[in-house]
Amino acid sequence: MSAAGGSATRADRRGRDGRADPDARPDGAYAAALLGLPGLWPARLAALLGIGRSGPGGGRAGDRAAVGRDAVRSATAAARSARAAWDLVRSGDAAEVPALRRLLGDADPEVVAAHWAAAAARVDLDVLWAAYRRHGVTVDVLGGPGYPPRLADEPSAPYVLFRQGSVVDLDGRTVALVGTRRCTPVGREIATEFGATLASVGVRVVSGLALGIDGAAHEGALAAGAGAPIGVIAGGIDRPYPVRHRSLWQRVAGRGALVGEWPLGTRSEGWRFPARNRLIVALSEAVVVVESREAGGSLVTAEIALERGVPVLAVPGSIRSPLSAGTNRLIRDGAIPACDVDDVLTALSLRSSPSPGADRRPPPSGDAAIILAAMGWDPVSTDTIAARTGLPPAALSVHLAHLELDGWVSPGVGWWQRRGPAA
Amino acid sequence: MTATVPSATLLGVEGRPVSVEVHIGNGLPSFTMVGLPDAACRESRDRVKAAFASTGLDFPKTRVTVNLAPSGVRKAGSGLDLPIAVAVLAAQGRVDPHMVAGCGFVGELGLDGAVRAVPGVLSLVDAIAERAVVVPAACAAEASLVDRVEVRAVSSLRQVLAALRGVEPWPRPTDRAAPAAPADPLDLADVRGQPLGHWAVEISAAGGHHLLLIGPPGAGKTMLASRIAGVLPPLTRGDALETTRIHSAGGLALPPGGLVTRPPFRAPHHTSSVASLIGGGSAALRPGEVSYATNGVLFLDELGEFPRSALDTLRQPLEDGQIRVFRARHAVSLPARFLLVAAMNPCPCGLAGGLACRCSDAERTRYERRVSGPLLDRFDLRVTVSRPDVAELLGDLRPDPSSVVAARVVAARAMAGERGVRCNAELSAAALDRVARLTADARRLVEHRLRSGRLSARGLVRVRRVARTIADLAMDDRGVVDEGPIAAALELRADAATLESV
Repeated sequence: MSAAGGSATRADRRGRDGRADPDARPDGAYAAALLGLPGLWPARLAALLGIGRSGPGGGRAGDRAAVGRDAVRSATAAARSARAAWDLVRSGDAAEVPALRRLLGDADPEVVAAHWAAAAARVDLDVLWAAYRRHGVTVDVLGGPGYPPRLADEPSAPYVLFRQGSVVDLDGRTVALVGTRRCTPVGREIATEFGATLASVGVRVVSGLALGIDGAAHEGALAAGAGAPIGVIAGGIDRPYPVRHRSLWQRVAGRGALVGEWPLGTRSEGWRFPARNRLIVALSEAVVVVESREAGGSLVTAEIALERGVPVLAVPGSIRSPLSAGTNRLIRDGAIPACDVDDVLTALSLRSSPSPGADRRPPPSGDAAIILAAMGWDPVSTDTIAARTGLPPAALSVHLAHLELDGWVSPGVGWWQRRGPAA
Repeated sequence: MTATVPSATLLGVEGRPVSVEVHIGNGLPSFTMVGLPDAACRESRDRVKAAFASTGLDFPKTRVTVNLAPSGVRKAGSGLDLPIAVAVLAAQGRVDPHMVAGCGFVGELGLDGAVRAVPGVLSLVDAIAERAVVVPAACAAEASLVDRVEVRAVSSLRQVLAALRGVEPWPRPTDRAAPAAPADPLDLADVRGQPLGHWAVEISAAGGHHLLLIGPPGAGKTMLASRIAGVLPPLTRGDALETTRIHSAGGLALPPGGLVTRPPFRAPHHTSSVASLIGGGSAALRPGEVSYATNGVLFLDELGEFPRSALDTLRQPLEDGQIRVFRARHAVSLPARFLLVAAMNPCPCGLAGGLACRCSDAERTRYERRVSGPLLDRFDLRVTVSRPDVAELLGDLRPDPSSVVAARVVAARAMAGERGVRCNAELSAAALDRVARLTADARRLVEHRLRSGRLSARGLVRVRRVARTIADLAMDDRGVVDEGPIAAALELRADAATLESV
């Protein structure tokens, strides 16, 4: 047995592998293999499996929700097993599935089926599945026994779900923290703080593991040491993206779960991200946008959430900051302002944390007080502070160092930022 | 009939003695040159012949062989023209061999018989063991820097012949008093609204701390950097000779007195080849910009635009104060001890951290990678400069002029001198424990930065060196540094880790 993966994953796998026939592969292995075939998109896979829904996600999710969950369920129940579907594809008989013929449109089903059969013949299932076991990745098909109940009823649930980590069930209270990749230092600080506070009361922070706000939120959650975070990814679980976040991926998997809907080896191409955003919303009870430009990707997430009836919160920002233009617009359009983490907890109907007591920081005096007042609340360079206060740099640096020690300011590269009272 | 004349050739910045031997034998007219001459040296034959003709001398109409000994060393350049001509004259019996004895010759001949300047005269003269040396008149001032030799400055082959025949005395070099080096026209007072930048320049000059200026275009990085050489103290005699030697060997124009007395300021463009930066070439091994900047400032503007291979070659000189250039036949050590000053934008568009930055994450990562790591770590001072405030640009507040800053720098360097180093950047960790102990308050600041992961152990050593310099500039010569200098040193060192997270 491979050493990779968390304990829960191992237990999971042992349960399946330990059946009478040791060679029996889980249905997920066939699903993963099918998804790996060229041109076998999730919608086509769904047709093959006999799941009665077309195309994942998108703007029409609401319409499909109106079809009713029972309809979805019954369709799911009638599913063909992935193993059966694989045999069908291997034998070149995939074209016999009527739902698939309809889906293929202009393409000749026989040609497509022959193409898939040829590709499938080249797949060594043992090798393929060994890679999944090595990475400790579990694969579940919608309607299958291991598929997480939280998603099973979702109208936009992925047909095949890939998971890795120590807490791969997707239960518990969840909040999505999302925002721009190129955030301000303040945004990063807020995301970290929200992530840490939410995690410390046991809320699972859901985010997209991107640079900027997403990463900061998870860093905060990991630092809190509680609340298993959930990272939703746009490619294969073995392809960290961005590469800079490789370690973050591993730490999130170590304490929580990585969730995706693409087989191993899939690159995180741009067009896969909207589907990831849909999955983030599906997994979350509320979506908090920390910082976003006027037309940011996180606004798309917020839009999906609004369509789905998931509460959207936005952190208000300066009307001058382009990085708060998106969040401020959300608030104008009716999103709940998240002025502190209590607002998020209230949205979740969680007991709000006791409000912080009086500011315990030693009040600055003399020049330090003048400096603090001159700084304002935007990041300012040391030169600017010098210009505003008339103090020489030598005196400034000592005062600023003291203010930093006392928690009044935080340093950047060549600039300083005033801090509010600790949460 | 043979004759031997002492001379020298240049390898890197060092002179190597060469004996020019000429044999005139019987046979059909020919002129053969042996002893590893390079192309310029081999062409000497045509120049010597023409110079003879122009001077009204007959070139031997028999077999002439020139040997440049030791024959294993490559001879480069045209400085051997004059010794070859003199050796031919001696072998012909036109001049008395006794007149030639005890005298070295260096110089290039023109077709009209003029004696022209050659590069590296200081090193060449130094390499010649004789008590007198005949040099081109244009190089007389430079040659006179070698105290032990009698310099004879000549301007034509005719003059040499006349002196060797005893018809005329050897011309003495005109004793020109070296004019005082003109004040640097670039004054720090011209740069407005950069208090932190000014301070960093002063600390960098006083402590020899490598300085990296980071900021958007138009912030004044280049203006500040180009004024650093102006506040460095004038070179000591030893340093001046070393720098002059390098500049001369590279063929750079020397100041009128022949001696480089002001610290050099070299600013190679980022498209410069690696060889032009570190030195190279096949036969002569010319020094590169890092060597020209010895005892002065090497300024790399747009650091992020330099090819990574070029930047990596800087690591050895930064560590050892010299650069070794290896070629198939020989290896040469060139001095390269400079104050490195660099300027860079925070990202390709220059606006990183600002909200209008147009660079993608990948572009910014690539840009950061160019200079991150070991090289970035060599900068004791990493200072962010922002565009100055309008009020400051137009205000009446003038920063200290270069002359005032330079006086403080001299005083600070004197304090470093008492510690047995040229400048505080050379202080070892052990020496720091002696001269830069931390007060309790200072310790508290450092501890906070160390705990928050914003300062590394290696960074701490550099911070203490800088703090020592800051205290020196404040005329505080106690062996401890208080929180003031430490806070400033921390402020002036944007951490590499934080650079990436902007």
